[in-house]
Amino acid sequence: MPPAVPTEFFVMLSMILFALGAMGVLLRKNAILVFMSVELMLNSANLALAAFARQWNEMDGHIFVFFVMTVAAAEVAIGLALIVAIFRHKQSINIDDLHQLEG
Amino acid sequence: MGEFNVWTSLPAVAPEIGLTILAAVVLLLDAYLPKEKNRARNIAFVSAVSMAVLALTPFIWAPAPNTSELFWGGMVRHDALGQLFDVMILLAGAITVMIAVDDSGVGRRGEFHLIVIIVTLGGCILSSSADLVMIFVALETVSIPLYVLAAFRREDNKSSESGLKYFLFGSFASAILLYGFSFLYGLTGSTQLTAIAAGLNSEIVSGNLVAVLAALLMVIVGFGFKISAVPFHFWTPDVYEGAPTPVTAFVSVASKAGSFAVFMRFLIEAFGLPAVSADATSTLVVIDGQTIQTFWVNLLTVFSILSMTVGNVLALRQKNFKRLLAYSSIAQAGYTLMGLAALQAQSAIGQDIAMASITFYMFMYTFTNLVIFAGIILFVEATGRENIADFAGLQRRSPWLALAMTIGLLSLAGIPPAAGFFGKLFLFQAAVEANLVGLAMIGVLNAIVALYYYLIIIKIMYVDQGIDEDKPLAMPRSYAWVLGITSVVIIILGVIPTPIFDLAQQGAAAVRLAMGS
Amino acid sequence: MEFNFITVAFIVFSLITLGGAIGVVTCINLFRGTIWLMVSLFGVAGLMVLLSAEFLAAVQVLVYIGAIAILFTFAVMLTRSITSDKMRFTRVWVNVISAGILFVLFALGVIYPVWVANAATHFPVTDAGLATTTDLGVALVSGSQFVLPFEVAGLLLTAAMIGAIVIARDADDEGN
Repeated sequence: MPPAVPTEFFVMLSMILFALGAMGVLLRKNAILVFMSVELMLNSANLALAAFARQWNEMDGHIFVFFVMTVAAAEVAIGLALIVAIFRHKQSINIDDLHQLEG
Repeated sequence: MGEFNVWTSLPAVAPEIGLTILAAVVLLLDAYLPKEKNRARNIAFVSAVSMAVLALTPFIWAPAPNTSELFWGGMVRHDALGQLFDVMILLAGAITVMIAVDDSGVGRRGEFHLIVIIVTLGGCILSSSADLVMIFVALETVSIPLYVLAAFRREDNKSSESGLKYFLFGSFASAILLYGFSFLYGLTGSTQLTAIAAGLNSEIVSGNLVAVLAALLMVIVGFGFKISAVPFHFWTPDVYEGAPTPVTAFVSVASKAGSFAVFMRFLIEAFGLPAVSADATSTLVVIDGQTIQTFWVNLLTVFSILSMTVGNVLALRQKNFKRLLAYSSIAQAGYTLMGLAALQAQSAIGQDIAMASITFYMFMYTFTNLVIFAGIILFVEATGRENIADFAGLQRRSPWLALAMTIGLLSLAGIPPAAGFFGKLFLFQAAVEANLVGLAMIGVLNAIVALYYYLIIIKIMYVDQGIDEDKPLAMPRSYAWVLGITSVVIIILGVIPTPIFDLAQQGAAAVRLAMGS
Repeated sequence: MEFNFITVAFIVFSLITLGGAIGVVTCINLFRGTIWLMVSLFGVAGLMVLLSAEFLAAVQVLVYIGAIAILFTFAVMLTRSITSDKMRFTRVWVNVISAGILFVLFALGVIYPVWVANAATHFPVTDAGLATTTDLGVALVSGSQFVLPFEVAGLLLTAAMIGAIVIARDADDEGN
């Protein structure tokens, strides 16, 4: 019995999500929003991995998703600490204000 | 792989086990050592010496000669190439801890050493990974703590800013890399690199050329960021300048060496090598009659030329020493990419030299960069200035420091008797063996351009008149050791490069044989 | 695609996911952005259930919504940037067009050849053999599977935790 929703629909969805996330990273000026868009991209990869795992009837994809979530948790902890630290210096988290380093 | 046996598997991760124990010890020392003047220095000393001793473990628990076996369920390979990368990353960690001791705000905090140890561990395991899951986790174990280290000097605006920039670019690149990985998994149903190669060559993937190329492109973008190749280099100058100098030194060697090692393994294992003789079988991945290797070799050739040229040209007009080294490191990534492009060689010797030249280049680059950064730290701590012009008359303020930095700069420029000469020579040789004569010529031209800005610095140190030439620079003992040892290693590698290069060639042959080509 | 309960659920969760994502990318109020992120993450959790990855769906809710999105909310409040985000976008059209091209390339280059034109991959899939949570747990600690990345991820989390404390702590509690 084929599944009700074929894999390509999930993959298509994950691509739209990936493109939206990439757009967010490139478009937004606020560091928190840029980072949220990166999270969307990671989620699109998770969705694709879970869909592929069902397609191949295999567990490795699920394990991969599990590790991506772990790594994302570590990344978020660091990222938000960095954003809070930079806010303390500049009172702003606009990435266009990051111009101390240029030459 | 057969039945899992913990005792036969342990040697493959011997340095990592040692580093885990060391991390726990450093954490406890930091929590329970009584507060006294030399506390931080003692912790640094413990971690540096332990990492230097751990650099021996890859030789004590050496892989069986001429093999490249998979261990831990296909997660890592145990071979001579991984062994060499382990050694250089461990020594880079040890030296970083030593040169951070007197850097204000960084080395005096116990957490710094702990994070350096965990990055070192990530780098060691990254350089021998053979599975997409392992590559991703190890790559992030190298990257995420480095974002912290870049922002480690909290009171410094520049440091926080470089940390945030590194983080935003880095996590974006990781997300792209991960999406590429998820496609490779989706096309082949496996996360193990050699199984991916088998899957890509099977019937199921035929007709999916574009999908494979898209996945490969995303992976190359991700790795290109980590090795700071043009056009993914934007973060490099800012992060190098803003991060605390010991961290810059560590980013420029450990993260780069580990990424190059795994990039090389990824391309070889997942996309195959050409047949080495008429009767040998090619392991190349061929989809719809198109060899995937042609695609990535051409792409990396372009990136190599761009990185060399852009890095060197922009380095010419830098005034800040750390920014200059950032552009120089982009150029060095360009030279090393030449070795990756040379993997298209059709002969056994050509492929071996390509892999070995990358390994040797990273090996000598580790010491070369660390000696220069150690010199910069010493100078900046004493004077508070880091422009190139401020180094005027350094020879009269501290002749030994000037000598050590000269050796490092000569090595970067590729002038004998420093190790950089053989590093570049082997890479050019690999390119010529692989019929990439034009690329080798561009490399030589770039090396000549680069001579100019390296030699200018030497001239400034020895000839130009500085403002406070009468004030000698004090040389703390830990720096004297680091500068002495690294300079001597550079000279030894430059005079007799064969032991390391032969070992790298054996490791390369083992990888080639394990691939079955 | 036949029309039944599962397809309806798929469409609903897809709309939730994409709607949330569009909310994140276009929001003016940063706090609402974090709420949109939670919505999108919840949609992905629902899709995971449809993919018979119930365990991952649970982890998605617990880790992504319960921890990560909440951390984002904290960061928004700590940086008091809810109303400060006046300038929303940079280089709008260039990026919208390039993202559109990216997606079309994906769709034409990847989706079509892989899953539409290529009948070879259309083998029937059953949920019967798919891994259970027990299998996942065993795989994570089995020496012939994924124990090594599991341990390394543990060390990464330790380093990240310590690092986050170091950089976010106020400069004046130095030495305590």
